[in-house]
Amino acid sequence: MGQALFIVWRESIEALLVVGILYAWLQRQPDNRLALRHLWAGVALGLTAAAALGAVMLLAGDWLNGSAGEWFQAGMTLCAALLILHMLAWMARHGRSLRGELEDQAGAALREGRYLGLMLLAALAIAREGSETVIFLYGIGARGDPSDLILGALSGLGLGLLCFHLLQRGSRVLGWQLFFRVSEVLLLLLGSAMLMAAMDRASGQLMALELSDYAYGLLGDALWDSSALLDDGSRAGMLIASLTGYRAMPSAFAVTGMALYWSLAWWLLRRPRRGLALAQAHA
Amino acid sequence: MRKSLTWLMVLGLVGTAQAGGLPTYQIDVSDGVFTPARLEVPAGQRFKIIVRNVGQGPIEFESTPLRVEKVLSPGAQSFVVVHPLKPGRYPFFDEFRMDLPEGEIIAR
Repeated sequence: MGQALFIVWRESIEALLVVGILYAWLQRQPDNRLALRHLWAGVALGLTAAAALGAVMLLAGDWLNGSAGEWFQAGMTLCAALLILHMLAWMARHGRSLRGELEDQAGAALREGRYLGLMLLAALAIAREGSETVIFLYGIGARGDPSDLILGALSGLGLGLLCFHLLQRGSRVLGWQLFFRVSEVLLLLLGSAMLMAAMDRASGQLMALELSDYAYGLLGDALWDSSALLDDGSRAGMLIASLTGYRAMPSAFAVTGMALYWSLAWWLLRRPRRGLALAQAHA
Repeated sequence: MRKSLTWLMVLGLVGTAQAGGLPTYQIDVSDGVFTPARLEVPAGQRFKIIVRNVGQGPIEFESTPLRVEKVLSPGAQSFVVVHPLKPGRYPFFDEFRMDLPEGEIIAR
């Protein structure tokens, strides 16, 4: 029972943080109705996709665990990581309001793209881990006692709603500026974890191909080993790794991907701030 | 989106054609119990693990240091090719059954 609760919580925390933070942010924006509608549409889409993916895992598991399925999952995860950066850049640029964009006629098409991005990010975040929750709950159900399944699902859902509520409270208690900073960091870490997961999957598939030893070295050989500090093979290390993208023995491929991600994040989140400061100085 | 999906599937098909002739090991998982629970592999060499779910419920075969995460429904099987390992111990879990003991790969 306690174990079921923990697994449901762990599998859903990522999606909860993504949706919760986006919701808290949109709540602060004027004229947020359309954006919120897109967010909830994304949630609905994500839940449907999670159930569908779960069914695929159960009925056509060999496909999903085969090469095509692995690339599909890697692609989905990579999309989610990039969408996080895209959303963060948007949030940083319009931390004060969406209105700046709304007044801009030419920005309308762009805005529509952003809303679609918002919807897709919520959907992907939910579909990815949600499908595993579906499988897990199915497993409990299949083991016999359906009351365990119902209890596990309900308590997981309850815990999820509690986290969501705390997140919304947090934005009031911490103050908006601080909450915004903290959620920015949380989303960046989740994006980095997603990118790392996508790279792990991709390199696992590339590993199976006939490549040169040099390529195997880049994909496989650890550049360093920090497992003495934090061992990602331990249970605590594994949890941290799954939420931040930390690896104790990263390959050159992984380190390059991470370096690109964080540089891009720095560049995207830094420029608009300077622009904002400039605008404030002029005002 | 559809374009990139097609692209991914094409890539996937290329991938399936490969990966013969590697040292291959098999791990059977039955509701969180691994057989064998300990595997010795040569260090510095790629190898393939075939994971089979022979139990009643689904499993999630996972190891961060081995860079593997696989959800398998009952009766399903899949393989992973693991990168050349440095000598050492690499634990793996069934993430759906974290209450049970982990398995390990020892690279020598």
